[in-house]
Amino acid sequence: MAPQTPAVVMDNGTGYSKLGFAGNDSPSFVFPTAIATRAGAGGAGAGSRPTVANKPSFLGSGGGGSSHLSTKRGTEDLDFFIGDEALAAASGPGYGINYPIRHGQIENWDQMERFWSNSIFKYLRVEPEDHYFLLTEPPLNPPENRENTAEIMFESFNCAGLYIAVQAVLALAASWTSSKVTDRSLTGTVIDSGDGVTHVIPVAEGYVIGSSIKSIPIAGRDITYFVQSLLRDRGEPDSSLKTAERVKEEYCYVCPDIVKEFARYDREPDRFLQHTVTSPNGRSVTIDVGYERFLAPEIFFNPEIYSSDFLTPLPNVVDGVIQSSPIDVRRGLYKNIVLSGGSTLYKDFGRRLQRDIRHLVEARIRASEARSGGARSGGLDVAVVTHKRQRHGPWFGGSLLGQTPEFRSYCHTKAEYDEIGPSIVRRFALLGGPGST
Amino acid sequence: MLLLDYENVLIRSLLTERFSGAPPASLDQIVSDFDGVTFHLSTPETKTKILISINVKCFRELVQYGAQQVLEREYGPYIVAPEPGYDFSVLIDLENLPDDQTAREDLIMRLALLKRNAMAAPFERAFDEFAQLAEEASRYTSESAPAGVEEGGEVMSIHYREEEAIYIKASHDRVTVIFSTVFREETDRIFGKVFLQEFVDARRRVLTLQNAPQVLFRNDRPLELAGVPGLEDSGDGKISYITFVLFPRHLTPQRRHENISHIQTFRDYFHYHIKASKAYIHTRMRKRTADFLQVLNRARPENEERERKTASGRTFRVQG
Amino acid sequence: MSQSLRPYLQCVRSSLTAALAISNFASQTSERHNVPEIEAASSPELLLNPLTVSRNENEKVLIEPSVNSVRVSIRIKQADEIEHILVHKLTRFLTQRAESFFILRRKPVKGYDISFLITNFHTEAMLKNKLVDFVISFMEDVDKEISEMKLFLNARARFVAESFLTPAISAGTDQILC
Repeated sequence: MAPQTPAVVMDNGTGYSKLGFAGNDSPSFVFPTAIATRAGAGGAGAGSRPTVANKPSFLGSGGGGSSHLSTKRGTEDLDFFIGDEALAAASGPGYGINYPIRHGQIENWDQMERFWSNSIFKYLRVEPEDHYFLLTEPPLNPPENRENTAEIMFESFNCAGLYIAVQAVLALAASWTSSKVTDRSLTGTVIDSGDGVTHVIPVAEGYVIGSSIKSIPIAGRDITYFVQSLLRDRGEPDSSLKTAERVKEEYCYVCPDIVKEFARYDREPDRFLQHTVTSPNGRSVTIDVGYERFLAPEIFFNPEIYSSDFLTPLPNVVDGVIQSSPIDVRRGLYKNIVLSGGSTLYKDFGRRLQRDIRHLVEARIRASEARSGGARSGGLDVAVVTHKRQRHGPWFGGSLLGQTPEFRSYCHTKAEYDEIGPSIVRRFALLGGPGST
Repeated sequence: MLLLDYENVLIRSLLTERFSGAPPASLDQIVSDFDGVTFHLSTPETKTKILISINVKCFRELVQYGAQQVLEREYGPYIVAPEPGYDFSVLIDLENLPDDQTAREDLIMRLALLKRNAMAAPFERAFDEFAQLAEEASRYTSESAPAGVEEGGEVMSIHYREEEAIYIKASHDRVTVIFSTVFREETDRIFGKVFLQEFVDARRRVLTLQNAPQVLFRNDRPLELAGVPGLEDSGDGKISYITFVLFPRHLTPQRRHENISHIQTFRDYFHYHIKASKAYIHTRMRKRTADFLQVLNRARPENEERERKTASGRTFRVQG
Repeated sequence: MSQSLRPYLQCVRSSLTAALAISNFASQTSERHNVPEIEAASSPELLLNPLTVSRNENEKVLIEPSVNSVRVSIRIKQADEIEHILVHKLTRFLTQRAESFFILRRKPVKGYDISFLITNFHTEAMLKNKLVDFVISFMEDVDKEISEMKLFLNARARFVAESFLTPAISAGTDQILC
């Protein structure tokens, strides 16, 4: 085993998987966590039922007796695609698309195992026996899932070593690249907003405070829908989801105050932009881009303009999460609010969030000062950290920690696994915690 | 996925993107490939100049067998002095690409095959040596041939992994390629044995494979390697030797390129499929476990008698 | 072979059914404890004679009854090292999930591949005859599964070998063409 092989960092999320090698500043591959299998064989886990006499055509090897005749069959477990190729294959006949991860957790282990197999051998092209692996998991992942992961990584792939880190903790580590962060602590509040859901996760000294986690059903997809509905309302010539997504990614930003922003748009007509959509057949249409530029991300701060059942603004949720955490870590949580995920990339998102949370905190301090009758508060520091690696925050954090010289000593090795069994992965020493560089 | 790709997907997709006129961006990535090969992709000076460096564990041996010439043939104008810590570097100037689209694609493919080309040298040399020996041998009858011709060339060994190596030897009627491979795990060793046995038998059993190379496998050192230093017999059968005998029909210039690429992937292909089988067996066991649980759950009586309700939702609770 | 399988399973079935005559029994050695006596083995008078049902030397079942618990250990047929490793993998996989199997013992009794521990609490909560059914069908299916996995492995190995060698075939045909 060459001692210098870089660790493999894999961050498998609900929507996208980020794969790459530790030490790099961006993942080598980012593609949907999707797997396309032969229709029919997909859900049943590639036909492992022993009684397949009635449908011998593609379940050859499962049928035991029939496998003499079907040497060419019984290989449907190799017939699949992952990532973008899966989406392409599924649009054609014969394949069905599956998403093995739901809500951040692995639901279908058969598919996930094959997804990993293909990630390692086709995309990353590594011999797992030579590399250490750093995988990620969502907060509150049941330990059984960890054990299943370890079982696959060690027994199927014989990987040299394994570390499973919590995504939120890695996102905190990723923020160390920001110039604002000086003390490299693993205490902070992570706001992780991806495509499907937004989580607010308090982390103290590298450990997630599980009881205080809050999820918000507003994330990237909702913003896209909102942009789309605005485009539709205006009757733009093209209001497809794809166009809405482009508009969202290219033009949207967060404004300090919507009322003033509306007025500004009326004063300065050059704030209205034009976006040209070129359709695959070569035709191009131009659509106007207007108020949605600042209205779309606004649904984080004023959810009532989009949703009728979820009405708490993001700053209030964050404040609530920190208030429900143990009192001795609250100061640290306010001081280090870290953004992660694609939906936190809007310009000035962090600044607006910081301002709003600070208002909430200061209002509370003033109120308690008034109640106490004259006592003065020392004030509370609220800081939202934005940094360049936000988009793939957890992956980048993994890359950062995976390249440290002591990373390998934090991993569980194959030998240890063989000795103790899957339960070994229930505990990992805290990577990047106090005492490490 | 059945067969492994010969080229590095990352290099291919990255260059395809950069060549297609995407705005140049700076780049600094270290990526791995099979067999402990490391690539470094970077843009050290300007964003339009991509430096690709490769580090191969056994580069010294490869150079000995003519790797430099092979690489010069493939990448002639692009070669630059190797980056420190790496064995070989090429520099691609995005502003100075071939105009022709097919030439560009060819360049991308060639760069993606960097590892393959670096490893190809000893194979090419063996193939050439074979041609030469065959030429000589045709001049003698089998009895009168001088010893040198009969024995064939020297054994070229390439220690491409820590414990594993490829040995190549050319003779006048064949080229022998021997892989040594190690199984660190009991399961892998046994699975490997099953697989290797099938490699050996495949040619005999299937009519259409008559023309395939002959495959032999054994756990002790093959006779061809008798004189190779640094090989100790491990009694525990952890090391396996797989011998491919390539006959003249595999060595024709037309087939050469493809066959060299193909045989290089053998070790990883083989280990990949062992792992894929284990994954499939896991799938089966998961299914079987679910089946067992189903049978076991039949033992649990469906006791809790459902609360019976009338159509309007009232229950018949006895007032106590 | 299946000629001898039927009486073998029948014998296990009736022996096990008889052994499952167990009842609640508090520990005699420590107060307010109730432990499976077959595991504790602290009072010899509570243990009954163990019993081995053996089909051949590779396939046997050990039934160890006691007053409140029965331990059933199965040795699964393993003809060669492939079957050995597959049995090992499968039993490991199952014991890893012992939590959901209630009666599965996390470690097999020495000399056997897999063990079940059935206590009076199990027989009270579950139907006794169905528990026996489970053990019997387990024994049947496990053999089937092992041999299917072995067949799969061979078929896959063959397929993999042929696929690898196939591109080289074209070497031959090419040559004929040229």
